Amino acid sequence: MSDFSLYLTNGLVMGIIYALFALGVALIVGIMNVINFAHGELYVLAGYFSALFATALGFHPALAMAMSTVVIFVVGLLIERVFIRPTYGNDMYSLIVTFILSIVLQNAYLLIFGPYPRKPPNLVTGATNVFSLFMYGNQRLLGFGLALVVIVAFFILIKFTWFGRVVRAVSLDRDMAALVGVNPERVNLISFGLGCALAGAAGVILTPIFPVTPTVGVGVSLTAFVVVVLGGMGSFAGCVVGGLVLGVVENLGAAYLSSAYKQLFGFVILILVLFFRPAGLFGRQRV
Amino acid sequence: MQYWIAAIVALGCFATLPFFLGQYWLHAAIMGLFYVMMASSWNLLAGYTGQVSFAHAAFAGIGAYTSGILAVKAGIPPLIGLPLGVALAALLGFALGSLCIRMGGIYLSLTTLAFSEILRIVVTNEYEITRGTMGLKIPPLFGEYSKTVSFYVLLIAAALMLWAIRRILDSDLGTSFRAVQNDETAASSLGIPVVRVRIIAFVIAGAMAGLAGSLYGHYLMLITPHVLSLDLMFLVLAMTVIGGMGTFVGPIIGALFLEVLSEYIRVYGEFHILIFGLVALAAARFAPEGLVGLWRGYFARKVRSGQ
Repeated sequence: MSDFSLYLTNGLVMGIIYALFALGVALIVGIMNVINFAHGELYVLAGYFSALFATALGFHPALAMAMSTVVIFVVGLLIERVFIRPTYGNDMYSLIVTFILSIVLQNAYLLIFGPYPRKPPNLVTGATNVFSLFMYGNQRLLGFGLALVVIVAFFILIKFTWFGRVVRAVSLDRDMAALVGVNPERVNLISFGLGCALAGAAGVILTPIFPVTPTVGVGVSLTAFVVVVLGGMGSFAGCVVGGLVLGVVENLGAAYLSSAYKQLFGFVILILVLFFRPAGLFGRQRV
Repeated sequence: MQYWIAAIVALGCFATLPFFLGQYWLHAAIMGLFYVMMASSWNLLAGYTGQVSFAHAAFAGIGAYTSGILAVKAGIPPLIGLPLGVALAALLGFALGSLCIRMGGIYLSLTTLAFSEILRIVVTNEYEITRGTMGLKIPPLFGEYSKTVSFYVLLIAAALMLWAIRRILDSDLGTSFRAVQNDETAASSLGIPVVRVRIIAFVIAGAMAGLAGSLYGHYLMLITPHVLSLDLMFLVLAMTVIGGMGTFVGPIIGALFLEVLSEYIRVYGEFHILIFGLVALAAARFAPEGLVGLWRGYFARKVRSGQ
């Protein structure tokens, strides 16, 4: 029983982080109908920056985390302005461009940071006895808490602010939003940056636990796509539920079915969802 | 007519290559032919029907592993295994194409991506059958191993494949492909069976990739999960984009250009893929129609300025 609750907890912790970076993909898909293949590479970049700021430049780890998330936001703005803007209206082309970009970034990281795993220092150490069932690492519990805080902040941003209202308007009906005075280019730019920043936030939270290498971003992007499709393209609540479902399924599946096939579960879910319910768990029926 | 003469002259020039290329460059030429087949068949699907599939390398892997495993485990001669591999790739192309008919655009790309990754994970993990990342040693296509023979086999296969693609593009089917890409609703209102056209494109492209992959495997005599990885998929995509997506000669030029380029920059090791990526990114950003588009633009300007 204690094994089971450990796997379940692991699943929930990973799931909430999946939800965090998947929200970035969902935001960009909802606003721009662009799938950003380089999403995982921004997660990785955030991990590298966080390690760099904390170890090489000697900032406090928490400050380093915040700084690298901001850096990723700016990088996201640049990517949107330089590479995505010329592809407006051609979904396939933006897909191809971001796919190439992800390969370029992976190889650039390999050159700059080397193939070895990098990690920023832990914020906390030790472990806590959870519900007197099992010992669980404090860093992971903190990661769970931080991810939850960022997700709640994101939902507040979307639900209660002017920017959030604009985002919802544009994802409902782009042309109508433009007619009532929303500047679509600026919304695209900021949403893309914000989506990337969410990948960055997930990166800085998770890298103390799972150090980054140049290629781990591929898995992050693919997981994010599975979560977004499972939750329903563009649905934020769906992302959170989808992330938790995938996290739990992966961890229970790895424990009780086969650990070698851990990554497979997500892709099987993806194909099943696309086949039987393309709108996902919470999506609007648009397909 | 001019077109066919140019094609035959190009083929003739290619056929003489083994007489003055060393072993090293002959290998490069064979790899170039493999990439020409991969990029041209992917272009048929992605460039002409607008279905950006990420499963093309996976289909090559299906072709390679089918004939390879049949030869090693069941002792079936590769000459029989190869058509079986092509048939299986076509069948899976049909299945994947049918799975994707209800979705377009990014959904299709994600489904093909998932399909490709599932296949890669299974092949990597089923060590007993595929020998995982160690790679499976397989016999040559027929007789003794010979680079020159392999070159001619791939040259003939590539020439036939390009001829078939040209014929398809010039036929009614090719017109339907482009109609489906440009505007699916309009195409279907004109009585084009959109669903059937899209699936046919998937089957043809899948079979072609299966053939290319199988020939590639029997040439290298070692197949690893790398064949069906996203790395190979990236090369094929980059070659098509750099050459010119949605044009007939674009993928051929892109594949040969990148293969020759990669032999020259191989000395830089890790830079290799990065340079590819940067060239592809620049092409995608500044010359969306690739080298062919630049060439045509240059000609159009010349004509306009009255030279």
